[in-house]
Amino acid sequence: MNPPGTTEPTPPWGAGPYSTLRHGTALATCDSEPVHTPGCIQAHGALLVLRLGDLCILQASENCDLHLGETATQLLGHSVGRVVGAAGEAQLHQMLEREPPLPGAAYAFTLPARTGASPLDVCVHVSAGVAVLELEATSRAGQSGDPDFFALVKSAVGRLQASASVRDFCQTVTREVYGLTGLDRVMVYRFHADLHGEVIAESRHARLAPWLGLHYPADDIPLPAREIFKRIWIRPLPDAAGPLVELLPLANPDNGRALDMTHCALRGASVMYTKYLANMGVAASLTMPILRDGELWGLIACHHETPTRFPYQLRAACELVAQVASLQLKSVEHAEQLAYRLKLEGVHQELVARSAREGDLLALTEHQPSLLDAIDAGGVALYHLERWWCVGRVPEVPQLEALSAWLYEQPVLESATRPVFATEALASVCPAAAGLEAIASGMLAVALSRQRRGLILWFRPETLQTIPWAGNPRDDPPVPGPQGRRLSPRASFALFVESVRGRSRPWSDTETDAALRLRLLVLDLVITRAERLADLNADLTRSNEELDAFAYVASHDLKEPLRGIHRYAHQLLENAEALDGDNRRRVESLMRLTVRMDSLLDSLLHFSRVGRMELELEDTDLNAVLEEALEMIGARRLESRCSIGIPRRLPQVQCDPVRVREIYSNLLANAMKYKRNADAHIEVGYIGAQDSEGRAAAPDEAAGHTVYYVKDDGIGIDRRHHEQVFRMFKRMHGRDDYGGGVGAGLTIVQKLVQRHGGRVWLDSTLGAGATFYFTLPGWAVSA
Amino acid sequence: MSLRRQHVLVVEDSDEDFETVLDAAQRAGISHLIQRATSGDECLRLLRGADRRRDAQPALVLMDLNTPGDDGREALRQIRNDATLPSLPLVVLSASANPRDLQFCYAHCVNAYHVKPVEHARHLEVPQQIFAYWLGCVVLPD
Repeated sequence: MNPPGTTEPTPPWGAGPYSTLRHGTALATCDSEPVHTPGCIQAHGALLVLRLGDLCILQASENCDLHLGETATQLLGHSVGRVVGAAGEAQLHQMLEREPPLPGAAYAFTLPARTGASPLDVCVHVSAGVAVLELEATSRAGQSGDPDFFALVKSAVGRLQASASVRDFCQTVTREVYGLTGLDRVMVYRFHADLHGEVIAESRHARLAPWLGLHYPADDIPLPAREIFKRIWIRPLPDAAGPLVELLPLANPDNGRALDMTHCALRGASVMYTKYLANMGVAASLTMPILRDGELWGLIACHHETPTRFPYQLRAACELVAQVASLQLKSVEHAEQLAYRLKLEGVHQELVARSAREGDLLALTEHQPSLLDAIDAGGVALYHLERWWCVGRVPEVPQLEALSAWLYEQPVLESATRPVFATEALASVCPAAAGLEAIASGMLAVALSRQRRGLILWFRPETLQTIPWAGNPRDDPPVPGPQGRRLSPRASFALFVESVRGRSRPWSDTETDAALRLRLLVLDLVITRAERLADLNADLTRSNEELDAFAYVASHDLKEPLRGIHRYAHQLLENAEALDGDNRRRVESLMRLTVRMDSLLDSLLHFSRVGRMELELEDTDLNAVLEEALEMIGARRLESRCSIGIPRRLPQVQCDPVRVREIYSNLLANAMKYKRNADAHIEVGYIGAQDSEGRAAAPDEAAGHTVYYVKDDGIGIDRRHHEQVFRMFKRMHGRDDYGGGVGAGLTIVQKLVQRHGGRVWLDSTLGAGATFYFTLPGWAVSA
Repeated sequence: MSLRRQHVLVVEDSDEDFETVLDAAQRAGISHLIQRATSGDECLRLLRGADRRRDAQPALVLMDLNTPGDDGREALRQIRNDATLPSLPLVVLSASANPRDLQFCYAHCVNAYHVKPVEHARHLEVPQQIFAYWLGCVVLPD
């Protein structure tokens, strides 16, 4: 079992066969120890190697005289019948010739007790072309009766099948094995991805300190031992400190090979291992593997403080428990994942359903349950519609922006099948995450669109992973030996706590799968919303057109009776000379009112047209536009004898010149209309985008835009009326004061400015003139 | 000036407005007969009557657009698509200033489009001038 890449032409024990007894302390590393061919057995039993066919004894353990009454030398070369009798030999023949061959060691029979000794359980198996006979004292002597292992195992298996989670399951395993064996401590020891182990379940005698939750370095179980545990179901070591005895001869005389003892219950243990156990105060151990898909998932490790015996039947029962545990593990894992997946799925479905109901992804983060109640995380951030929605502990927005910029560079988010990114150590891969470990050591991300417009990020904090090691995993073990650096068991098993920085709990497949499914649900929702929005837009367009039609029809229908009224009033005046002064005035008022109603209808029509018509944006010289506006209202300019100042030439701007001319003509007309002195002065100018002067009353939206203004020295507007002046048909003065008018001019100005994406506001106090400001950001805004 | 076209067809559903037109005709001093249709349908019926001689056609059709039934627009479309009604002077006098209406009418080759003012004195002036111009100045083919 050499690690790949290393060559050892001559092992330290020379050219001959290995013996733990002779060479066990001369090893450079545990990983080079030939643990499957130790050349030695545990002295509490005897072992015979038989040639297949004639069952002639080829090798025998040196303690045969103690157990069998004859020395190894006396037995070598004889048929096995010399030990087990003719009937035993016949039975062995029958067992060894059976097809298919024995899968591992099988109980054959019990040899009756010789004088002064116990009866011996005889087990047999085939190893590399020889039959191996193991003889151990049975437990039956001195005991009133065997426990009913069949019944015990049967009920244990039943309880194993009832476990809902892996942890429960392992706890059941230790409890059952503890009950079955009566050993002091039974643990389930689980291997992590880096091969280090953790005690995840334990049943122990009350006087022992708990080892549950302890971690053990990978070195504690060397690679060769791990390999053996993929092939055997049980490893008994009833007396760890007990003596070892060699086989005689060490190599098979037929082929010169060492005996492969992988399947031997009596296989001699590595000195390293027995010292390790002794350091922990363990006198006997029984170990069973838990396999998952042929890989070593963990161990069932049993310890006893005094030497004991593991009779064949007990071992068989424990083997069965290990096999059932291995078979059952996967389905327990699946059940656990399924339960978690169903929970995630349930919460996600509920969230999306609520979002759909409320028409807003906000529902994913704002209410209970939220995204935080599904995938286990410290915080969730959702980027949608140009903003972040967060729940729980997440980085600040600028940091989220930096993380998402980095994420979008990761090709995995573009994947057609699994556009998901998951890490348990974000800062180690993403520079933008440096310093965020406390909140975002782990990140799980899915993209909601290919256009970089949507993301869901789950964050996990650093699990300042306090790992309680059984002893310091780094300081202790490597000490130089006679053959250079070799491992020896650690002297101290004092608790050593290590902190792992910058790492979170890892994301499971169940979680990444759930994130991907949530992504599909949200995408579906977003698409549905987009469709609904399109429908709404269509509806809006339709209703705008209907409103358009309505305005004109109304104008026609309202104007027709108006014309009739006016006509009859006109005829009354013309024909009825006899009308007295009062009645004449009343009829004249009637006519004036119809004319006024007519202009109100016209303004209404104009306003509705302003809101709907397409803007035609072009690069425009505002000076020319202003000139035209002045010309349009020129008649009034003459009448009112006002002066118009333009401090500096107006700039070029992207706008609809016809509409902006209307803005200017309305504002100028107002300025001239509401003058205070006979000689009014009006100023038309602008504040540059970068200028800060004169922006005191400006709304936030005007920041960074050029502000245009028309300033007069007229009567001014009381501050409390500043909002009202923009209201349709709202007049601040009597109907016929200041030249009359319907009160639609500023409403239309406001609409036109809004159509350009701008804002209009004013600065004025009563009696001190008024300044109207507006911006023209230069993009068309639909009505 | 054609001496054969002896009448004017006025399409107008409002009695008040029709009276204004009559007043205007009187003020313009025209001698033409004034025939009235109150809908687009009726207008077409009159134009497509049994007597199809050219001199049986009106010297002018003065049309309001928003009339009941098939409105003025439909009548307008049919008149301009009717090869048996060539060179028929068609003037619109409508309450609507809707740019779409203007566009539609000129696209269908009306000879002129006028908006009815609400003020009676000005309302009277418009058809008066129309009559004076179309019946006094314009020359049509025989």
